[in-house]
Amino acid sequence: MTAAAPPGTGADSARAGTSAGSSRRGDTRIRAWARRQYWPAYLYLLPGAAFYVLFVLRPLLTTAWISLFDWDGLTLGSWTGLDNYTALLSDPALRASLLHSLVFIFFYALLPVAAGLLLTGLMVRIRIRGLAVFRSLLFVPQVLSTVVIAVSWRWIYDTDGPVNGLLRAVGLGGIARSWLGDYTTALPSVGLIGSWIMYGLCMVLFLTGAMRIPRELFEAARLDGAGPVREFFTVILPALRGEISIALVLTVTQALRNFDIVWNTTTGGPGNSTSVPSVFIYQGAFVTRQVGSAAAIGIALTVLTVAVCGVIMRVLREREG
Amino acid sequence: MKSTLSRQRGRRAALGTGLACTVALALGACSVPGAGSGGQTQELTGGRITEPVTPKQVAAHGRTELRLIADSGDQEFLRRFVPLYEKKYPNVKVKVETKAFADFSKTIVNTMSGANPPDLIQGNQGYGVDGLLVQSGLLRPLDDVSHAYGWDLDFPSGATGQFRWSPDGRLFGSGNLYGISQSNEYVGVFYNRKVLDKAGVAPPKTWDDFTQALKKVKEAGELPIMLGNSDQYPGEQLLGTIQAQKVPVNKSRAWINGVPRTTFATQGNRESADELREWAKKGYLGSGYNGVSSDDAVTKFTGGKGAFLVAGSWNAPAVGKKLGDDAGFVIPRTSDGRTAAAGSFGLPWHISAKSDKTDAAVAFLGMMQSRTGAQAMADSGRLPVATEGVTMPNALGRQQADTGKRLLDDDGQTFYFDWASNSMLTTIGSATQDLLTGRKDVDAYLAAVQKDWKAFRSEQDEKAEKQGGGR
Repeated sequence: MTAAAPPGTGADSARAGTSAGSSRRGDTRIRAWARRQYWPAYLYLLPGAAFYVLFVLRPLLTTAWISLFDWDGLTLGSWTGLDNYTALLSDPALRASLLHSLVFIFFYALLPVAAGLLLTGLMVRIRIRGLAVFRSLLFVPQVLSTVVIAVSWRWIYDTDGPVNGLLRAVGLGGIARSWLGDYTTALPSVGLIGSWIMYGLCMVLFLTGAMRIPRELFEAARLDGAGPVREFFTVILPALRGEISIALVLTVTQALRNFDIVWNTTTGGPGNSTSVPSVFIYQGAFVTRQVGSAAAIGIALTVLTVAVCGVIMRVLREREG
Repeated sequence: MKSTLSRQRGRRAALGTGLACTVALALGACSVPGAGSGGQTQELTGGRITEPVTPKQVAAHGRTELRLIADSGDQEFLRRFVPLYEKKYPNVKVKVETKAFADFSKTIVNTMSGANPPDLIQGNQGYGVDGLLVQSGLLRPLDDVSHAYGWDLDFPSGATGQFRWSPDGRLFGSGNLYGISQSNEYVGVFYNRKVLDKAGVAPPKTWDDFTQALKKVKEAGELPIMLGNSDQYPGEQLLGTIQAQKVPVNKSRAWINGVPRTTFATQGNRESADELREWAKKGYLGSGYNGVSSDDAVTKFTGGKGAFLVAGSWNAPAVGKKLGDDAGFVIPRTSDGRTAAAGSFGLPWHISAKSDKTDAAVAFLGMMQSRTGAQAMADSGRLPVATEGVTMPNALGRQQADTGKRLLDDDGQTFYFDWASNSMLTTIGSATQDLLTGRKDVDAYLAAVQKDWKAFRSEQDEKAEKQGGGR
């Protein structure tokens, strides 16, 4: 019976409490906020919240805690405070890997979003039969296991692989090379694998968004004499603001935490030319057993990712009203 | 009215308690990480073993379940060996769990530190796995078992250093014996007779033959060495193969074991790095090797590309299956007639210090090290340590067994450079890629490797000191 009581009942009683209570403004405001809440509703959130706390917040906090220790993962750790973080700032190898991550943002996020937008612009104008089939096919890279993708691309980029075969066939044998083994081409080559994985997702997102644009807007633009380019910038692009924001958040996150593709194609090499922060986390946690410092990199990377995504969402948020 | 108010408060209090609980749950992990991990045990688990364990002794324990965790590379061996063991010790049931090496080597330490660890496990030579296990007192020393079974007679004493640790687990290479293995694994030279014939070169027997052959094969327009180095370790193994020719084995081991005041920048190592760089320059390794995985290199070699493949003996099944009688295997002899190579025994077997089935576990290792175990190893396509009276499955296997015996007789396993520190695999791996392509000159290469070694040594010394002070 109690749980079904109308919200008003609770509000009345809370007000009664206020009149007898303190005069501080902050306190009043909190009480006012509390009065507006329908508390039993929070009970429904509890199961989800418990899972979130147990499996997301708790590991995150534990990681943050471990990052303050020098720990080999087994024997007793020793407290080092923020030493792991200062060490991380002065590590040139890690700084280089962060630069590689920025390059990956171009390949994983900017390039796929640009490609997705371009394809959407085209597909909106030209009605394609069997669109659903195309969409599913373009989405396949998203579904495939990244290890499978890495192995396939290793073959594609191989010295005797199809890319070099094609180059030799058209008389460009001079630039044929081991794409993943060459210091200058390894990073962009790995990056392009990311572009291939991501652009399907971007396009599917954008196409779905474009479907929701009212026909009248296109008609109005066309009546006003807008060509395909003008139409793209005045009708499609503004309408896709939300989708672009989502696509960027997803792809930038992937770019920053990229591990599997790098690990399974180049192991961070040749030399250190494709190393990324996640490679250092993996090595610290499982190979060199510097669990504290690995945790510090993990936390720093999480903060960075959240910050970058926050900026993206703020810049691209839908205008209110 | 009043009752509603109190009910409201009660509900809020419940919510508050719930919230407090979740926060507490989230913060619950906040004790010093690693607190409560076991210290070193003083007593020898299961008592001292003075004579080989008999089936009768094992039977006295009644129905026993022996649990073991191993690398999946040993699956085939265990499939053959375990039934033989269970037949001899009928009251024991062996429960085998295998994991792929990457998963296995990352989880075994934590598995062992749990409350109910398996009785027998495989570890891994070096500080990353074995060192940690010894530091935490999780392994039973096996010196008594070794005496009882006469392992110390079968194994060259220098080579058993790879299973030895100081009791605090900070110094590798001497001290108590903690593990044993029946498999012999080393890096050698596979060759393809067809490609050699085309170049008019006989299979090499000595290092001189080998370097001459490289030149002739190149002149004949064939690829001398098939190298796939995207995994970074094959380059290190290639350097190790050259280095084993030029540097006395105990000198290499001393550096790997972390003996103070040793250095990687020795004259011998400098010459070896120089030679490797020369090979790359002369095109003996082809091009694009840093982008080819080691597995792909084996596939290309068996497909007829390259006269030689410098790789681990464990690749024999893959090479032999495709090339058949065209495949050969050798460790070229040094100029003074020795046999030496980058190599070691297989992953070491350990007995848990917490196991209460020591007799059954010791019996398992004892039988594994016997001829029965050796034959099971050979039948599973791998190379046993003991090759006397063991039948190898094919010609390539017999070649490897002969070479392996020579290697043990000369105590010629140099071990692997990457055992020297936890980060050495990556350090020397990427530095060797840099050396091959000329991005690092020989001096910078040697310095980069030594820098890693030094940093790790000072870290270990610091920790040993702290540990010593605490005790």
